[in-house]
Amino acid sequence: MIRLNDLKISYRIGSRVIDAVDGVSLTIPEGCIVGIAGESGSGKSTLMKAIYGDIQAPMYISRGSIDYGFKGSDGKPVTTANIRDEWFKTISYVPQSSMNSLNPVIRIGKQFTDFPGTDRDKKRVLERATAFLGKLGLPAEVMTSYPHQLSGGMRQRVMIGLATFFQPGLIIADEPTTALDVVVQKEILMLLMELQEEMNNTILVVSHDMGVHYQVTHKMLIMYAGKVVEYGDTESVFADPQHAYTKMLIDSLPTIGDDSMRGVMASAAGAGGDRAFGVGTGLVEVKPNHFVSLANETAGVPA
Amino acid sequence: MGVLRYVAKRLGLYLAVLFIGLTITFMLPRLMPTNPVDGYIGQLQSRANGTLTSEAIAEMRTNLEQLYGLNGDIFTQYVGYLKRVVLQFDFGPSFTYYPQPVSAMILNALPWTLGLLLTATFIAWVLGNMVGLVAGYFHKKRAASVLEFLGILLYPIPYYILAVTVLLLLAYIFPIFPLSPTFPVGQMTPEKIGMIFYNSLLPGITLVLAGFGWNILSMKALAVATTEEPYVTYARLKGASNWTRMTRYVFRNALLPQVTALALSLGMVFNGALLTEMIFSYPGIGLIMRTAATGGDYNVLYGAITLSIIAVATAGLVIDLIYPLLDPRIRHK
Repeated sequence: MIRLNDLKISYRIGSRVIDAVDGVSLTIPEGCIVGIAGESGSGKSTLMKAIYGDIQAPMYISRGSIDYGFKGSDGKPVTTANIRDEWFKTISYVPQSSMNSLNPVIRIGKQFTDFPGTDRDKKRVLERATAFLGKLGLPAEVMTSYPHQLSGGMRQRVMIGLATFFQPGLIIADEPTTALDVVVQKEILMLLMELQEEMNNTILVVSHDMGVHYQVTHKMLIMYAGKVVEYGDTESVFADPQHAYTKMLIDSLPTIGDDSMRGVMASAAGAGGDRAFGVGTGLVEVKPNHFVSLANETAGVPA
Repeated sequence: MGVLRYVAKRLGLYLAVLFIGLTITFMLPRLMPTNPVDGYIGQLQSRANGTLTSEAIAEMRTNLEQLYGLNGDIFTQYVGYLKRVVLQFDFGPSFTYYPQPVSAMILNALPWTLGLLLTATFIAWVLGNMVGLVAGYFHKKRAASVLEFLGILLYPIPYYILAVTVLLLLAYIFPIFPLSPTFPVGQMTPEKIGMIFYNSLLPGITLVLAGFGWNILSMKALAVATTEEPYVTYARLKGASNWTRMTRYVFRNALLPQVTALALSLGMVFNGALLTEMIFSYPGIGLIMRTAATGGDYNVLYGAITLSIIAVATAGLVIDLIYPLLDPRIRHK
């Protein structure tokens, strides 16, 4: 269980301070996949960085805190201060750009052993990693291959293998399927779901793709302008979106056969590209497990 | 299998480059309106105050043409030239130091030049890359910019100014090193080798300083760019240590273009040899080339130019053969 207490994260650039995440309070239960959606600049990546514990200048936590509610590999409770020691032990990360997140001049096997999370016996790690990658549908030769010899899907499997190999309690996946074609994307997502069911850990998935969220996640977190505007069980959020911004995100999903938007989009964008949505402070539980930030009814009105 | 074909292909290319280079060296002087034999005879005639008879001149012309391979039509000359150069490494006798063969002069001077310049270039490369790597990897830390400053300071100084300054400083003001070095010849004994080493230190230092700055700046720029690569960020988020990231991630990837630069600068040592050897009166190829250029000693120049062509082409071959070992993406092509 991860609890965010009135979390505010800012960037200090020169003498200016920009609040990228502004007062987020919520609880992420254990053993579920949480999808995080929102437009670029809404603060999703900053929030993920903060939860992962990658807080370095110019970014800092200006208010609030994160309670991790789980113990590290040394038995001590994990906090923002010591979470770096838990990287790729009890918390791991799947990066956005799987295509170039592997060192091009080093074999895959070596990239399984070159960080402190692995134990000293490199040979044992390699054997276990080979077996583990086998379970993810990768042949043993992958371990002795260089990244450029693998396809995009295989590389993303390797990334997921790296992130799950240590059975972490929390995985943060930052747009894990953005660079992949839809067929491979589906395979990767199914793999992620299978692994989650098996290990029963918590996965936070950032994605722009509402379809991905609908298929994969148990809970949805919608961010807008540094705030959480809606948070709830995925089914509930998709069936009955409360906030105008959530509605717009869900409506933006194209449906095959629906051509009502043809020719409309361009003019609509030309007329009112600069939308603004009202965001209130704090979340209100409108249904069981479904929270929304009640706007001061300026929703949908252009700024 | 693939390796053999790769090597064979590179070797073929190497031989082709050598062939073209030798051909151009042969052709270029022959396109000039002057004839070296005429020039030479003219010199002799003027020294003899025009007392040479036309029979003597004609005889001398035949002898000279025979000696320098200038008889027959251009094709016969070309075949003869290739035969002599490729099979016997024979460039004929020197004009200035007649009858000493050019190949012997060059072979005597070669170990001096290679010993000094290859070592200095290599040391400058290793040191420069190490400093540049640290400066680039920690480019956000203020202390690292001191290292970069070293590069910025050294790089723009022209070599002759640097060399003369170092000479003044370390041989004249603080006489640590000899002002006019002596290099013993003949049979080598431990004392002689020590003396050569001591006398070579000063030119060596100037060469290292001169090459150092460029290597720092180049490696620093490469390392800064590489630290921004997603795989380095990912390695950081994996919890890999600074050392692992700097050596295995940033260095291994930033090294690739630097290897090319090293090989090319090793091929170009003869250019550097000229100034160094003039300033420090160091008995290498550079000094021979200078004497040959001022004395119009065509054969020696031929020999030196041919040697440069071989050096640069060989350096290129070495890069081609080493590169796949460093970059798996080329190895598996």
